[in-house]
Formats: sequence, C-alpha cells, structure tokens
Amino acid sequence: MPRGQKSKLRARAKRRQARSETKGLGGAQATAAEEENSPSSASPLLGDRSQNLPTAGTRSTPKSPQRAAGVSCADSNEGANSQNEESSDESYCEDPLNEKVVLLVEFLLRKYQAKEPITKADMLKSVIKNKKYQFPEILKRASEHMELAFGIDLKEVDPIRHCYTFVNKLDLTADDMVIDEENTPKTGLLMIVLAVIFKKGNCATEEEVWKVLNLMGVYAGKKHSIYGEPKKVLTQELVQMKYLEYRQVPNSDPPRYEFLWGPRARVETSKMKVLEFLAKVHDTTPSAFPSCYEEAMKDEEERARARIEARAHSSAMASARAKAKPSSSSCPK
Amino acid sequence: MGAPRSRSPRLEVPSYMQCSTRRMGIMTDVHRRFLQLLMTHGVLEEQAVKRLQKHCYKVHDRNAAVEKLEDFINNINSVLESLYIEVKKGVTEDDGRPVYALVNLATTSISKMASDFAENELDLFRKALELIIDSESGFASSTNILNLVDQLKGKKMRKKEAEQVLQKFVQNKWLIEKEGEFTLHSRAILEMEQYIRETYPDSVKMCNICHSLLIQGQSCETCGIRMHLPCVAKYFQSNSEPRCPHCNDYWPHEIPEIFNPEKEREAGISTSNKKSLRSRQH
Repeated sequence: MPRGQKSKLRARAKRRQARSETKGLGGAQATAAEEENSPSSASPLLGDRSQNLPTAGTRSTPKSPQRAAGVSCADSNEGANSQNEESSDESYCEDPLNEKVVLLVEFLLRKYQAKEPITKADMLKSVIKNKKYQFPEILKRASEHMELAFGIDLKEVDPIRHCYTFVNKLDLTADDMVIDEENTPKTGLLMIVLAVIFKKGNCATEEEVWKVLNLMGVYAGKKHSIYGEPKKVLTQELVQMKYLEYRQVPNSDPPRYEFLWGPRARVETSKMKVLEFLAKVHDTTPSAFPSCYEEAMKDEEERARARIEARAHSSAMASARAKAKPSSSSCPK
Repeated sequence: MGAPRSRSPRLEVPSYMQCSTRRMGIMTDVHRRFLQLLMTHGVLEEQAVKRLQKHCYKVHDRNAAVEKLEDFINNINSVLESLYIEVKKGVTEDDGRPVYALVNLATTSISKMASDFAENELDLFRKALELIIDSESGFASSTNILNLVDQLKGKKMRKKEAEQVLQKFVQNKWLIEKEGEFTLHSRAILEMEQYIRETYPDSVKMCNICHSLLIQGQSCETCGIRMHLPCVAKYFQSNSEPRCPHCNDYWPHEIPEIFNPEKEREAGISTSNKKSLRSRQH
C-alpha cells in the first residue's frame, strides 16, 4: 500500500495520543488499561483484542501505542476507576458500557445489511450478556450512534415481544445504486429473468429460468453476442451486482439451484415495472396476468406507505430535536 | 483535516458523545448517504467512490463544493472513530487500484461474514484462508480446499456444495478465482488484515516496502523478502537495473506496470462497451 496514506494515519494516531496523554484521561487508551486491570469485565469478544482498541485508524503494528498507553495511564487508572461510579456524562471514553455500545452498533449494522428483524432477546444473547440491566441505556446510545453516523433509525414495532426494525431516514432510490457501472447491455436479459422469477411466485428454479431463456436462443455455456456467457452473467455478474440472488434449493440432493430478486432489483425496479415489461413482450396489458397484477398492486401500495412513514418519522424526529435544543451543547469544531 | 463548513442541517451531538480530548467532524446527510451506499457495496474502486461522493452531494447539498475525497473521508472517520469503524483505503494486490471499504476494527472480522453464511460455510472460508496464507503464491487450488471438506465444523458438506459455497464467496467479494485457484479479494484483505495477523502470526507474509499484509507478490530469491506488485512497480519505477532493497541482489522478476487512472479513462472512452463485458474481479 502506498506509504503516504499510512504515514498520515500513524501521524494522526500519534497526534491523538499526544493530546490524550497530556490530559491524562485519554479515550481509547484508558479503556484498554481498564480492560487489563479488571479481567472480570473483559468481554469474550474484545478480551484478547483489547490491545487493538487504541489503534483505531492505524494499520501499523498494534504494539507500540499499547505500550505507550500502559505507561501513561498507570497513574490515571485510579482516577478512571472512580469515575465509573459516577454517571458518564463527559467521560464516556472510560465507561465500560461503551464497549457494549460499540459491539451493539456492529451487531445492528450487520442485521441492517442482512435485512433481518431484531429482537431484544437476540441483542441480549449476542451482545449485552452480563450487562442485562443496562440494556436500555446501551440501546439508547447505540441507536443514537446509528442515527448520527448512518441516518438509520431503530424503531420498536412490537413492545410486547420487543421486536425492532430499521427505518432509513435517507430515501434511497434507483439513482443511488447505479454508481459503479456504466449502462450495461445486460438489462434486457435481467428483466426477463426478473419476470420469470416474479411469475413463478418470487422464486424460480434454475431449470425454469433456462427453459425461458432457451426459447430466446440463450443457452448456458454458449457465448452470446450481446450478453457474453449467459450462465456466468446470471450466476456471477448479476449476483455480484446484487440484482439477483442465486442459492441452493434447501435440502436438494443432488444440489439444485434457484433464483430470487436481489436487493438492488428491489430498489431499482418494482413488480409493477417488471409486469409492464412482461406484458409488452406478450403484446398485452398487465391485467392479463391477474394474480401477478394483484401482487404488483399490493407492492406499489406498500412502497408508497413506507415512503410516507419514513418521511413522517424523520419529520417527527426533527421536531423532537428542535424542542430539546436548549439543553444540549454543540459539538466542538 | 476536520470539519468542513457544510450548509446542510446537522444533528446535535448528545453530551455524552462529546469527548474533550478528541476533535469530532460534522456528519451531514451527504456523509450518511455515502456511508450507507459504501456499506451496501462492500468495497468500491476509487473512481466509483468519487462518483458516489459527487452523487451524495448532488442529492443533499447541490451548491456546496465537493470536498477533496481524502478530507471527506478523514472527516467521516473522525466521527466513526469512537465506534471503532473506519472507511479504509487499500490497494488491489494484482493491479494496484485504490479501493475503499467500511471496516470494523473492534471484533474478530470473520463476524462480518457471519450474517451471510452458515457455520460450515464460515469454516470452509477459514480453511481456504489458511491454505492461501500458507501458500507460496498466495493462491490455493480448488482441489486442495475441497479436500478439507470432511474437517468442517457444523453440518456435513459435500464437495459439490463446497464448490458452490466457494462461488458464493467470489460473488460476495471475499475471494477471487483465477483458473481454478483462489486468493483473497481486496475486500477481505481490508476487513481481515488485523484478524489474519493475529490468527496466523507465524505464517503471515508482509511487504518489505509498505509493511502491510501480503498475499500475492514477488519475492527475492536470495534473501526471501517480499513485495506487493504495486509496491514493486512504484519502488523500481524507471529503474533499469532493479535490485533487492534488502540484499542488493538483482531483482529477478518482471517489473509490473503501475495502475494509472488517466490511462484507464482514455482507454475507457474508446472501448466503453467492452468494459462492462470484461470480467472484472474487483
């Protein structure tokens, strides 16, 4: 890797360290020192990685900042420990809850990307563990980090079973996804496959897809003048671009595979648009496919509702923040 | 580096998040959209990252001047620092293209893959990873990986299934395949460098020039030091008699070409259609 970038990172870390060392209560260093001194609170995940915490932002060997941290914080340890008993207003840096907040944010980001719902039980088991009684505080802080840094809100949808979901405050559209490729000629092929998947109840076996493509003169293993090698396009390129999902049919032996819509397809197009494409190909109208048409209409309704909810939620948050303004201080520049 | 004067509304930072010992940048929706989209893509090449940045400005703050990418990213990283998350820049090992990924620094990074893969699949990845690190070339053959299928934790996996799982790793940008052999994608190197250095401290290889993890590269036949291909290209740039920086013996390998974004753009204009059909690993 080019040296310039890394030297800058190392210099930045050193500057940061120098600043914290003079104050005596450096952020990450104190946390690491605490981990060493109180083994009972060391998390199994971070336990042996605690020496990596101070090096956030650098890629050089973790050893030297850790040694420096150990030396500089030896005296300030008692100060740091006693401060934990008080509420953590200014010194979240040494707060043991902070570790859980960091882990919970990582957990939530993974769930967000996987589009999986989250339950309190899940969070307690995977992240919170022994700090069960501080769950509300940890969750609150983690949610605020998610909102501040990513614009993603965590909303409780079921207060009885404690289920949560994510609401994206940013309205992602088709424009957002078309970043890393210029127009590719594979759109036509993709639309056909999306249509087949939709028609087959949102999941089509590989055989079903090839049956349709073969009718058009597109065959697996046979290089096409426009699309290239179709099997590679379908199972690798379009999957990598997140337009399609290609997975093994559960419990199939010998293994068989199926296609589903990928997350990007769901954002960039819709069931209605694909149905309109299909109708055009068959020289008819969408209503000629009654069950698909019904499903596409429902999908349109849900999308509209989600957009309205997201907007309402973000304006509610904005007004709540506006009301709370006088009590919070501004971020140092 | 630090906080740009942005005209978009910013979120007030709760008092417990402020740390007097640390300077925090200011996050706006421009940065948040950037992060969300970078996260979705996993890893992006620099040109795509620049397009992404411009796009985010266009959506939220049309009239603002687009900040220099490095400063933009440093600003974001100063806010993410307290979460032990970072937008990390790396370089592809085979052709020296700059790439970026959102990386988590706090925990074992195999966990990044945990949500997409089952226990036996993760173990297959670990086995492949070990073979790749131990290998001389940085590549592990499909055959050697598949032969370890019996040793996997979790549900029993057959070789045919394992082949598909390996393809899944390629699709998700964790591995690269070349002629039946597998090596690490730049995404995996960016996300897992720390994990790899800790887990395989004895077998891990390092580059003599940039001192970071090395999977693919060239090595000196006399003293054994290794260098990344882009590091070799840069170090021996316009040197007609390349010599090993460590033992001074003649460098026996062909010096590769450095990735030049200008040349790429010129080539791209004339062959724009070919680009999308070419098999791009990154």
